[in-house]
Amino acid sequence: MDRDTMMTTLREAISNVLETMFFQPVQIVDNDRTLLEWFSQNESLLGATLDFNGPLSGSLYLIIPMKVVSEITANFLGLRAEEIDEGQKRDTVKETLNMIGGNTLSHSDRKSVFKLGIPKLIEEHDLAYDKLGDLRGDFVLIETEDNHLAVGVAIE
Amino acid sequence: MAFNVLIVDDSSSMRAVIKKIIKVSGFDVGECWEAADGKEAMKVLMNEWVGLVLTDINMPNMNGMELITEMKKDQVQRSIPVVMVTTEGAEERVQEAMKIGASGYIKKPFLPEEIKRTLSNIMGEAEDGQRHYDDDLEGGDF
Repeated sequence: MDRDTMMTTLREAISNVLETMFFQPVQIVDNDRTLLEWFSQNESLLGATLDFNGPLSGSLYLIIPMKVVSEITANFLGLRAEEIDEGQKRDTVKETLNMIGGNTLSHSDRKSVFKLGIPKLIEEHDLAYDKLGDLRGDFVLIETEDNHLAVGVAIE
Repeated sequence: MAFNVLIVDDSSSMRAVIKKIIKVSGFDVGECWEAADGKEAMKVLMNEWVGLVLTDINMPNMNGMELITEMKKDQVQRSIPVVMVTTEGAEERVQEAMKIGASGYIKKPFLPEEIKRTLSNIMGEAEDGQRHYDDDLEGGDF
């Protein structure tokens, strides 16, 4: 498996997970915008990271504005936005990346077994606007109905 | 007859979603216990009557594969159907899970219908098995 195959399956996995579990129609944005151009300076972000090992090794990232976190958590749990708590939001962000990661790796190479780590949260302060430029890897930029997020992969 | 379910996943949100699907799917469910990993699941299994286990694979402390392996060592727990609900879909991983005793496999992301269909099949088989067992008892020389 090569990097291009992985990026193609990552795009498919993002659509599959967000549409199936979160009822979010998604549009993958094909352009070369950076994370600093994709997110605005006054946006509060939450993220998760997931390590993987196998024919390729590296880390996956999910970066998502807090406003979208509330929306997808409510959709996922079948609750109203005002009924969900911080723990549920953080857990949903990690599980979203877990599903995207598992889906990507199992479809990238059906014969190989990847070892997935346990998703970890990236706290808001580590995703401050001035730190976004430090994140390495290739990012897929995604538009939902009226929001936006990003999923990245850094291959070692 | 109502059956008790144990949902094992380190994501509390995922446990809540699966629980909700099972509850609204029309199954005759009694208790619905939750555990965050295999170790917690073993504690529930040792203290409660569980009719079905749905478990993730990738969890801290004790993963889903290790949980099945532990259950198979126990005379009572070995007969409890276990369905893997997981993001891991590599063929080798699926075959490995079925080989060590998983009764079914649901890949995340899933539609509610997939949970319902898999549980219908498995619980149908479990009830048939129980019926045959009861028939054998009635027909046997005891």
